[in-house]
Amino acid sequence: MSKGTAERVAPPPLVAAGRQRRLIAGDRVFEVIAYGAAALILLIAIVFVIALFIPALPAITEFGLGFFISRTWDPVRTQFGALPAIYGTLVTSAIALVIAFPIGLGAALFLAEDSRLRFLRGPLSFAIELLAGIPSVVVGLWAFFVLTPLMRDSVDPFLNHTLGFLPLFQGSASGYGFLTAGVVLAIMVLPIMIALSRDVIRAVPRALREASLALGATNAETIWSVILPYARVGITGAVLLSLGRALGETIAVTMVIGNRPQITGSLFASGYTLPSVIANEFTEAVGNVYLGALFYLGVVLVLITIAVNVLARLLVWRFTSEATAA
Amino acid sequence: MKRVLIALSLGVSLLLAACGGSSGATNPSTGAPAVVVPTPPAAQLTGAGATFPQPFYDAARFAYNKKFSQVTVNYQGVGSGGGINQLTKKIVDFGASDVPLKASEAAAMGGSDKVVQIASTLGTVSMAYNLDGVADGALKLTPDTIAGIFLGKITKWNDSALAADNSGVNLPNQDIRVVHRSDGSGTTYIFTDYLSNVSPDWKAKTGGPGKSISWPVGDGAQGNAGVATRVTQTPGAIGYVELAYVLQTKMKQAALKNHDGTFVIPSAAGATAAANAFAGTTPSNFSIVNAAGKDSAPISGYSWIIVYKDQAEKTKGTALVDYLYWLTTADGQQYAVNLHYAALPSSMASYDLTTLKGVTFGGSALLSVS
Repeated sequence: MSKGTAERVAPPPLVAAGRQRRLIAGDRVFEVIAYGAAALILLIAIVFVIALFIPALPAITEFGLGFFISRTWDPVRTQFGALPAIYGTLVTSAIALVIAFPIGLGAALFLAEDSRLRFLRGPLSFAIELLAGIPSVVVGLWAFFVLTPLMRDSVDPFLNHTLGFLPLFQGSASGYGFLTAGVVLAIMVLPIMIALSRDVIRAVPRALREASLALGATNAETIWSVILPYARVGITGAVLLSLGRALGETIAVTMVIGNRPQITGSLFASGYTLPSVIANEFTEAVGNVYLGALFYLGVVLVLITIAVNVLARLLVWRFTSEATAA
Repeated sequence: MKRVLIALSLGVSLLLAACGGSSGATNPSTGAPAVVVPTPPAAQLTGAGATFPQPFYDAARFAYNKKFSQVTVNYQGVGSGGGINQLTKKIVDFGASDVPLKASEAAAMGGSDKVVQIASTLGTVSMAYNLDGVADGALKLTPDTIAGIFLGKITKWNDSALAADNSGVNLPNQDIRVVHRSDGSGTTYIFTDYLSNVSPDWKAKTGGPGKSISWPVGDGAQGNAGVATRVTQTPGAIGYVELAYVLQTKMKQAALKNHDGTFVIPSAAGATAAANAFAGTTPSNFSIVNAAGKDSAPISGYSWIIVYKDQAEKTKGTALVDYLYWLTTADGQQYAVNLHYAALPSSMASYDLTTLKGVTFGGSALLSVS
């Protein structure tokens, strides 16, 4: 904004000349601060990417793209591969979504649609906010001391007993591993899942809902054949944003996943995730290649989360702009 | 050891008395005559590195500051790797590592003749287990069974190899759940150094000792405390834990068969005995695992402090060597002993003294101890 425009916009009779000059000066200062802040964010993002990439270079040159398919993680022989950690990250996040999706969608529908138990909405919304506000290390502590014994003594044996014909639920259960980590992640992504789905469902035009009811559809039929198809894209976005949260979660997962770089079919087995490897090993990672491999894992994680988040934002954005247009 | 220190302190006190700077007093906690150490110039010292000796360093630096208020020492437990990094960049005055510098790390500091390393304390590792009906110390483990368990060859508690050493102990038909460290650690280095020493199989399979390695079997937990909690939480679990944590958390620990064939419960005294069995320990020949001697705790190791040989500032350099010297004397070591670390054997203390005397500023030695 140039000085000339500012003078033209401000009507001279309303403000005294001296005060106006002060206003213009104030505008300038504000402008500089705002631009500066915006530029700083951009700078931080660029510096961050560079700072992640440069230390990763020794490992990138050493292992190349083979890093993505190698199963070895051997600091003694300085041979590193990301596959078990990528696998663990994807599997635990997938478990989290399988659990959180139906629960989250159900809760969101209740909050957005059900008019009978309206008095429960307040407390429920409050509980969700509360859940979202619990620091992940506290969730991890709870999982370590309460959830793992529960999984080991009750849930895992039950699954093994009823669904043991699937390789997923075979093997000896220690209470630590993919499944427990997935349950912990499900708890952590539920608030996002619920809040976003609720907003998306509320954004469905009232006219559609009323038209469906007027045609004689029940509440359930309206939800099933009008609201959910309409909100589909937005809900997918909510799922992907939850996925983004699950992929990067570190400390709570580290506490219960068992920290073993392996790829197995059993969900009872121990695994490792990208953030867990980094969090565990960076303090004593000596040598450029070892440290570089950890940074390389960071690059992989950033790439995965950026892809998921961009996709999610696009979907949510497409949905909300469509809904506003309608 | 005491005789040497008394002789040493006599010599020093005579010297200091001559200068009028003596501060001889009786050590309140041990009753032994306090070691007289040089009075340091005012300085602020910073160190960074290993977390294993951090409780000791913290207790010691507070005590030193109480003794000589003109010197404050800060220590950041960022891990050995981080400590070595910060010393290489000269951000800190001393680095601490559970394993002496590798050739490549010394080269990054300007070459192995540009740095000196002293042993600061001594620790030993216990095998902690969680087995119903098997009391503390009742389980007996040999080098072969420990290696077998951590190689994944022994998978049940009632395996015949374990039963052979444990007649009279009711070992259950239960899966063995191996727990190891998930973070890189000096404790892991000492333990894998031991395994590599006693089991050629282990060495071939994992490539030898390391602060973090590719484990044939088991789950990882973070920190000594993490492994300790994990073992306490999981029936049938076994893990290697620093002795101090075992004693603090009152876990069950196994009797370990040492080099001489005696079953010993790891203790601080056992670590000192193991260290004494290796007379010529230096930073380049530092392993003291599987030591000879009937009392030796088999899984023991030193922790090290690294400083530049040629100091950039005279005052700071003097305070640094004065502090580090004090740390290795009986006066400093008592804070290690209080926290279940083992006291340095006299041979190592005198090695440290000789080494510290080699620290210079502009070609002249900084430590004035006779």
